[in-house]
Amino acid sequence: MNSTVVGSYPKIPDPPAPGRWRAGVEKLQRGDITPEEMRGIEDEVTAEVLAEMAVAGVDVVTDGQIRWEDGQTYFARGLGGFTIHSLQRYFDTNVYYRQPVATGEIVWRGPISVAAYEFASAHSPRPVKPVVTGPLTLALLSRDEFYGNLDQFVMALAAGLNQELKALAAAGAKLIQVDEPGLLTHRDRLPLFQRAMGVLWEGVSATRALYTYFGHVDGLYPAILDTPVDIIGLDFVAGARNWEVLRRARFTKQLGLGILDARNTKMETRDAVAKACRRAAEIVSPSHLHVGPSAGLEFLPRRVARQKLEVLAAGVRQAREEAA
Amino acid sequence: MTAQPLLTTTVGSFPKPPYLLEARRKLARKQLEQEELEALERRATEEWIRRQEEIGMDILVDGEMYRGDMVAYFADQMDGFAIAGMVRSYGNRYYPKPAVVRPVGRRAPVTVGWWKFAQGLTPRPVKGMLTGPYTIAEWSFNEHYPTRRELVLDLARAIHDEAVDLERAGARYIQIDEPAIHTRPDEDFDLAVEAMEIVTRGLRAYTITHVCYGDVPRIYPAMLRLAVNQIDLALKNDDFALLETFRSPRFTKDIGLGVLDAHSHRVETADEVVEGIRRTLKVIPLEQVYVTPDCGLKTRTVEETVGKLTSMAEGTRRMREELSR
Repeated sequence: MNSTVVGSYPKIPDPPAPGRWRAGVEKLQRGDITPEEMRGIEDEVTAEVLAEMAVAGVDVVTDGQIRWEDGQTYFARGLGGFTIHSLQRYFDTNVYYRQPVATGEIVWRGPISVAAYEFASAHSPRPVKPVVTGPLTLALLSRDEFYGNLDQFVMALAAGLNQELKALAAAGAKLIQVDEPGLLTHRDRLPLFQRAMGVLWEGVSATRALYTYFGHVDGLYPAILDTPVDIIGLDFVAGARNWEVLRRARFTKQLGLGILDARNTKMETRDAVAKACRRAAEIVSPSHLHVGPSAGLEFLPRRVARQKLEVLAAGVRQAREEAA
Repeated sequence: MTAQPLLTTTVGSFPKPPYLLEARRKLARKQLEQEELEALERRATEEWIRRQEEIGMDILVDGEMYRGDMVAYFADQMDGFAIAGMVRSYGNRYYPKPAVVRPVGRRAPVTVGWWKFAQGLTPRPVKGMLTGPYTIAEWSFNEHYPTRRELVLDLARAIHDEAVDLERAGARYIQIDEPAIHTRPDEDFDLAVEAMEIVTRGLRAYTITHVCYGDVPRIYPAMLRLAVNQIDLALKNDDFALLETFRSPRFTKDIGLGVLDAHSHRVETADEVVEGIRRTLKVIPLEQVYVTPDCGLKTRTVEETVGKLTSMAEGTRRMREELSR
């Protein structure tokens, strides 16, 4: 049993501490600093966030996605075939992203996230898992002006991102996470999704994690277990129904237990986390349990995100001790 | 409401002049007293009232010189909220997101003092400007209420009391902004409708709700159930594409027709405004149309704002003349 995060982390500290990342973007837009200097600021903030997650006691971390404008743009602007357009609401959140528009054939031109992964690995006290936005979600949140049908668009993205996953594995990533919240808003696309997953993970030698969030998998379960991945991450906050859904068939994967509310400042307790771990241990073996927040933590102010991770780590430690 | 068609108004916020931005920074650094800031806010408000009169706007706003964020402004003055911290909305835009930690309610009127001040400066009507319950709830963390529904309905009762106080003070136009109303329409648009019924219940004032961006076709025609006289919408930024949606079923409310892109630096021409209104009149009857910018103009400069509104007033005047011939 270990503690982990799902992805993003707040980029700026709570006021009055200065938000270097935010100030950096303003300076970059005014032309007061160079893109290289901005990368330097992102490096510093990433190292700070990695240290903060380690101090909180999280076992497996991400780089906090400090360099991501959002989950779509970060990959779409690295791939060939996309241009980036107007602001769209990100699912049912008050977060907006710039919508990628596919205007040509999707091609992988070279590593997008590998240098960031290598930097994070070199600067993290804890193991780092890279995160990649999955082909279905990327397609659903984009606009297609080239392929003309979702199947071809998704499969092209899967083939392109397959190269990215291979590059991450070659750079030393032992565990790679692919995020597919879009599956929960387009449940009827499960067959397409599973074909895409086959292409996406082809020849990738790493532990394969698939994360969904913002809802439950009722209607997708147990069919989702046929997806070629090792870990399935589920949201047990927005998708509290998952507790009941998972009882309907034996859970044959490792479980990402998203139990701390990443979208509300209300603080969980260590006991509640430990209790959820015990409950999940009835579904999978404790050694197959990866406990974390329900989604990326950038929906929260920094202080609250850090506190949630402290509660998470303490709850997981308590559950481990109880099990021992 | 009136013999004159195509009344002009604005969505609420105007840019703060440089001297006021500087004063706000000084206040944050404790180099300025609150009363000194308020004096400058009154000065800036009066400047905007005069500009609107000079441009020839029919229904005025106070420009919100004293507001920062549209939700935090209410949260700061109401019971039940704590400011949780800064949260990113996109790019490097952050907003102070409040957390509901106790039952919400009003301690005292929130907007009435500023409304009275602004209305005292002009014989033309000044709109009362409120943020709607659904949006306040959606843009806050909820640490207290077991369900969002309970939070939204408590907020609706508080905002209703505020609307009643505005009306008693003399407000003839009351706007309740709901930019978050289409966040999860499949799940709880009925709740947004129920909340608006509570807010406007028994009011005699002309009521408006402003809904911006997001997927408006997804809440059409359901949004026609909102208990307001007028729905104010952004048309210009998508080149009036929404008119296709409003062909069928028919748009049964008055419309606040956004004819200026609030997020573009370009100053539209009067011809563009005429063209926008003309296209609209093929879909929505004249007596239902009010002319406005797409959204609050606070992110524009003072010059851009004056330029845009001047074109809007000029285009509207030409359209009225054309129609009266």
